[in-house]
Amino acid sequence: MEKHHITALLPEYLDDLLSETQRKKVAAHLKDCKPCAQELEALKTVFMAFEDEKEHTPSDRLRSNFFAQIEQEKAHSSKVVSIDRTSPENKSKWINKVLKIAASVALLVGVYFFGKQQQEQKSDLAIAQLTHETLAFKQTAMLSLMGNKSASKRIQGVNFIAEFTDPDDAIVRALADRMLHDENTNVRSTAVEVLSEFTSSTTVKDSFIKALKTEKDPGIQISIIQVLGKMQEKKAAASMQYLLEQNDTQPYVKDALESVLPNII
Amino acid sequence: MEKLTDEILMSQVAHGNLEVLKILFERHHRHVFNFLYKMSGNRMLSEDITQEVFYKLMKYRTSYNDGKFVSWLFTIARNSLNTHFRRVSNTYEDIDTLDYKMVAEEAAQEDYSDLHLAINQLDATDRELVILNRIQEIKYKELAEIVGSTPGAVKTKVSRALKKLKTIYFQNI
Repeated sequence: MEKHHITALLPEYLDDLLSETQRKKVAAHLKDCKPCAQELEALKTVFMAFEDEKEHTPSDRLRSNFFAQIEQEKAHSSKVVSIDRTSPENKSKWINKVLKIAASVALLVGVYFFGKQQQEQKSDLAIAQLTHETLAFKQTAMLSLMGNKSASKRIQGVNFIAEFTDPDDAIVRALADRMLHDENTNVRSTAVEVLSEFTSSTTVKDSFIKALKTEKDPGIQISIIQVLGKMQEKKAAASMQYLLEQNDTQPYVKDALESVLPNII
Repeated sequence: MEKLTDEILMSQVAHGNLEVLKILFERHHRHVFNFLYKMSGNRMLSEDITQEVFYKLMKYRTSYNDGKFVSWLFTIARNSLNTHFRRVSNTYEDIDTLDYKMVAEEAAQEDYSDLHLAINQLDATDRELVILNRIQEIKYKELAEIVGSTPGAVKTKVSRALKKLKTIYFQNI
């Protein structure tokens, strides 16, 4: 029974790997047990054969091939040479993390502002559209009002135009038409007043000069004369001269003409 | 540099100092080659696989986990050899059969010692244990790591394999 234990321990016994007590036990057993002693001798022979087993040397081809592979790998990954084991890796990991966070924050902020801008653009557009619509509506309203039979409605229509900073030609022409041809003095007077705001337009200038000839109402005549005088419009001089020579022109209109004319010429 | 342990050298390799691989190669390539040669009985094949083993060492250097270098090295060597046999033995059912046949075929060309011939007659598992333990002098603890077992179990297996070997050896001479 004990013999089996011993043969299993023989390799370790020969390698001297057993503990002191185990070794003594095996040694004691070997003295008494012949088969085990024979077994030991046989194993010793095998171990000797292992010792004598010559080591084979591979050809130099192996070394040169592998060293060539090393050089290739070096060239391939020349950037990775680092002696310090953890810090560059950790550092780059850390930087990586920070960069990731920064990128997400930037993205968040970017998206927020983009959305905001988009929203603003949209609302700007909406406002512009609304303003445009209101203007268009007013324009239509004004044009229709100016065609109204009631003089006060027509005045209301004319007054609307004062709200336009840059009225289009159709409106100016409609207004000039009111100034030249409206049967109501008050409408014509209001038209003159409103048109005096847009004196930079040539249509307006020409209309004033034309109105100077056609207008019979002295009040309006004086208003026109004053506007033209402010404009210093040279083209108006002839019309003014003409008006001055007319016999039916009111004396105070003539006075106004005389005071303005020298400034123009 | 030459006095540093394998483990320190390998961790340097793992961090990009490839030049150190040359020292490890000089220290171990003969052992790897002899292990493979004893296992396969084929010199050319053993040289090729030895080169492959060191190439893998370099390629997978970052996966080195600071464990016992020799264990890692022979684990790679063992796996490479097994992979090779599996590849060429697609038509064979048993790896050991092919293994044995290859050895028998080439026995005429190569000059084997009596011991080597005896070792060849062991099955692959026993042969591996005997070669690693007796020729490469790998201790039971590392041997257990290589073959994926416990030191105690490996000790018993080696002991049994040696007994078998002894029998075969004395039959032949």
